Amino acid sequence: MSAPDLLARCLGYAPQLLDGAVTTLYLSLIAVVCGFFAGVFIHVLSASHNRLLAGFARTYVSVIRGTPMLAQLLVFYYVPTALGLPLPGVMSAAIGLSLNTAAYQSQILGAGFRSIPRGQIEAAQTFNLTRRQALWHIEIPQVVALTLPALVSEMIDVVKATAVVSVIAVTDLMRVGQQLASVSYRPLEVYTLAACYYLAITTLLSLAGRALERRIARRT
Amino acid sequence: MESLLSLAPRFGKAMLVTLALGLSSALLGALCGFVLNALRLRFTRWLSRPYRAYIWLVRGMPYLSQMVIVYFGLPVLGLTLSAVQATVVSLAFYSAAYFAEIFRAGWASIPPSQLDAARAFGIGRAAAFRTIELPQALVFSIPLLANQTILVIKESAVASIITVPELTMTASEVVSSTYTYIAPYAMLIVCYWLLTQFIALTARRVMKLIAPLEDA
Repeated sequence: MSAPDLLARCLGYAPQLLDGAVTTLYLSLIAVVCGFFAGVFIHVLSASHNRLLAGFARTYVSVIRGTPMLAQLLVFYYVPTALGLPLPGVMSAAIGLSLNTAAYQSQILGAGFRSIPRGQIEAAQTFNLTRRQALWHIEIPQVVALTLPALVSEMIDVVKATAVVSVIAVTDLMRVGQQLASVSYRPLEVYTLAACYYLAITTLLSLAGRALERRIARRT
Repeated sequence: MESLLSLAPRFGKAMLVTLALGLSSALLGALCGFVLNALRLRFTRWLSRPYRAYIWLVRGMPYLSQMVIVYFGLPVLGLTLSAVQATVVSLAFYSAAYFAEIFRAGWASIPPSQLDAARAFGIGRAAAFRTIELPQALVFSIPLLANQTILVIKESAVASIITVPELTMTASEVVSSTYTYIAPYAMLIVCYWLLTQFIALTARRVMKLIAPLEDA
């Protein structure tokens, strides 16, 4: 096994692995964006004065954070089927990942919300802003800027968590790696290569996150 | 409800498998992480770059991809592990990076002036490590260690892919033999939740036990 051969094979795997990487990336993107809005919603619920709603939000976060992503994914894939509403794998994966990261993001955002002075909300009320306007125009922009490092690290965790969607037949990076490994009979190099693709994605994300933080830090 | 109860013995056994798998991997990972951090402190000059590279590699890849490299990839190099061995080895290798970072934070939480004071009293570096830094760093780390143990237990679900008979595998087996979905998967979620709550509760107990000692 010579080095040029290995390099040629790795280049040969590239088109399929890139396809898988695209699936991984768009699933992650959908999950992070939907999870953000769901996370805000869960935070609003948990901060509400209604005990039932607050209790529901707390239980939701506890169950999601206390159970593996894989188990949640199996629930979102097989339970709808059992109830007569079969979902395609990609759909279950997007829903499962979004609902999972929503719990984590609600915790991250919660810390940011708590750091905003009450006075700002009261000022918003004096200016006749509705509660919703104050949330989206005054609180959220500040909360996102404050919690950006944690949100970026959650985004990286989501990319890594997507690897388990290969189990429900979504052709993400991991699944493509499995397919290539079983065709080529070269599991070591294929799986190592797939891992390198993940490493490239997470490293780029973390570099981009750091650049964004610096820009925000300069502006404030 | 009846089907849930009839599933209880099987899930109870699987829960123990998951707990044993998670705890032994976490223990091994914590030991490796501890040694790694101690070596990094002792040989900062030579080891800080390789240490950072290891952390970057392990934390930049999903656990699943590391597990398949160990289970399916290493036999190519002549190292064949059973599914359980591959899980424990890969999970320890993976979590050691996170544990090492926890211990690093624990040691960073100690003011450097304490070491200066120790030196002034003629306490050697090794003795200072053992009697001054270690107890404080460990107390600082307990909540983080418990949290990481929970993460390890959750990652161990992935071992079902290589047919380790733990909780997730058991649920899938029950599903495919009974064609019921809701009861086994509900059971699966409840079992994992109980396990992780148990770890979190234990950590809180330990913290409470230690709190009065710290003030003294």
